[in-house]
Amino acid sequence: MAGRRVLITGVGSFVGSALAARLERDPEFEYVAGLDTRKPKLELEGTELLDADIRNPVISKLVPQVEVDTVVHNQIVRRPGPGVSARAMHDINVIGSLQLLAACEKSDTIRTIVIRGSAGVYGSEPHAPQFFDEDMTRLFPLRTRFQRDVAEIENYFETYSRRHPGVTCTMLRYQPAIGPSLDTQITRYLSLPVVPTYLGFDPRLQLVHEEDALEALVAAVRRPVRGAVNVAGEGTIGLTRMVRLARRPTLPVLPPLFGALASAGKRLGLPDFSEDFSRLLRHGRAVDIGRLEREVGFTPRYSTPAAVEDYVRKQGGRRLVPSMRQAVAG
Amino acid sequence: MTTGRTAGETDYAPPRTRPDWRPSGDSAGAVGIGPLFALLRRLREGLDAGLELPEAVARAATALPRDARHRVLRAARRLEGDYAEDEWGFDEEFTELIEPFFRFLYDSWWRVRASGVSNVPAHGRALLVANHAGILPWDATMMSVALLREHPLPRYARFLVLNWAFDLPWISDGLRKVGGVVASPYNALRLLEQDQLVAVFPEGVKGAGKDFKDRYRLQRFGRGGFVEIALRTGAPMVPVAVVGSEEIYPKIGELPLLARLIGAPYFPVTPTFPWLGPLGVIPLPSRWRIEFCEPIETAGYGPGAAEDRGLVFELSERVRDTIQQKIYANLVERGPAFL
Repeated sequence: MAGRRVLITGVGSFVGSALAARLERDPEFEYVAGLDTRKPKLELEGTELLDADIRNPVISKLVPQVEVDTVVHNQIVRRPGPGVSARAMHDINVIGSLQLLAACEKSDTIRTIVIRGSAGVYGSEPHAPQFFDEDMTRLFPLRTRFQRDVAEIENYFETYSRRHPGVTCTMLRYQPAIGPSLDTQITRYLSLPVVPTYLGFDPRLQLVHEEDALEALVAAVRRPVRGAVNVAGEGTIGLTRMVRLARRPTLPVLPPLFGALASAGKRLGLPDFSEDFSRLLRHGRAVDIGRLEREVGFTPRYSTPAAVEDYVRKQGGRRLVPSMRQAVAG
Repeated sequence: MTTGRTAGETDYAPPRTRPDWRPSGDSAGAVGIGPLFALLRRLREGLDAGLELPEAVARAATALPRDARHRVLRAARRLEGDYAEDEWGFDEEFTELIEPFFRFLYDSWWRVRASGVSNVPAHGRALLVANHAGILPWDATMMSVALLREHPLPRYARFLVLNWAFDLPWISDGLRKVGGVVASPYNALRLLEQDQLVAVFPEGVKGAGKDFKDRYRLQRFGRGGFVEIALRTGAPMVPVAVVGSEEIYPKIGELPLLARLIGAPYFPVTPTFPWLGPLGVIPLPSRWRIEFCEPIETAGYGPGAAEDRGLVFELSERVRDTIQQKIYANLVERGPAFL
């Protein structure tokens, strides 16, 4: 088999550029292209950068030209933030995915599409089974905008793969990622000087380490399977334990006041909490990773608690708690 | 397997393999006021000398008796996030820490007498099926304590709890820490596949919302979902009759409007609740008996049998009958409810 040719969208993100760096060094892959308007986070030598916006119909001309057999869709934005409004996030996610699919329709060399989706599609529910497996997306109504967007994207890719039986579409449903190189809602939350929590709630969270987030993509590109696959570190961690490990003081907030506090914090320039993230902090979410291990053949190296411990260790030194000692000592 | 034993034989005093859970004279929890002051003074001295908090606690704790010192150090470690929970949030260390409270309930408050504990398999998966009353799963915790205290090979039980409890602050958290999980068949299946001991209460909301006059009359066992789960995982079912739990919150009426308002399945009115406010949540000190009955094996039917409606209903009825009969027997044997 001749070398594989891969296109990576969202190559400007940390995981996107790490994936490009990883594949361009791999002899199995003869050509790697990266699509993004942002500059890659890492130095890339062998990757051809296509400077185009995924929302722009021009990608329908670009994508067929590079004649790739594999597309890795890594441009699903999980968090609104500086420069990305909720509106822009919706556009990038939904319109971007549609444009990408339109481009894929024009290209007849594609055999594999791997999407870095989100386990956010399951939502965060107090009455949910502790571990969602891939068939449980319909157990609860879609409550947030992001959840609806992800469900819509999944739907488009399902339709596409029905129309094209020769193309294998792998929808990876990622739990939130954590790691020293990442800037995600979780890492921002843990870097707050005081961490707000819901009074009386200690949700079970499940995370994936940044290295495993990358390796899972590589594994799925190597061995794509049809349909959805959950991606997460094994096990769960209680929010309280995570915050204690990160040595952050908590501020328990009465549940009805949490939203007000978050928007006050936003006005003060603190990071915004998306609706999904607030629900996650109250009810938590975990998934079953049996399919990832059995069918994709990838077992994450870090369990969820180990991922948090590794993050805290590498963040090391930045301790905010010694003030507690002074408070006790007067 | 210990299925052959009769209930009478199982009341012997088992070997003390886990001293923490056995009743004992010199309780580790007994810390006087004197050592506490010594601790605080030495903590202050340590901090003044410029030690970090954990280290200062560790030094100061040397002033305490050994057992108390272990407790203080353990608490200090927990504040650093240094403790283990499993993927369900079950926290063995926390469960041990609050054990004196459950021991008090078991020995003094409800004067529980358990029989037939060795009908519960000492290892491997098993499904405990019990009657249930009240929103708070006191009966599940007492079953757990009975197994830890009286079983020759003590083991922790996990229990399925009415979903609504997981909407409540603190309660949701505390339940998970001592082994409660959301009452979902997926959770039961996964726990049994992990070879755990799982307690279910098939009466569900109907049992929890029973009137006082209907106490000890078992409600319908749903659609027999618990039998399907046992058949699919091949887990033996152990019927458990709990007597006493249905008198702790004698429900004499309910306020449906208020229940709709706060989203609860029902809002109970008991002689003490809601009149006495939070005090009304204190359960009445009835006298309890817990009987673990002979297990019903399901492995022989094969996992496909879970779809056999007839078999599911038959087994479900068998379990229900066993529990109902044992409840009546134990009610007679127990005598008056509170004395």
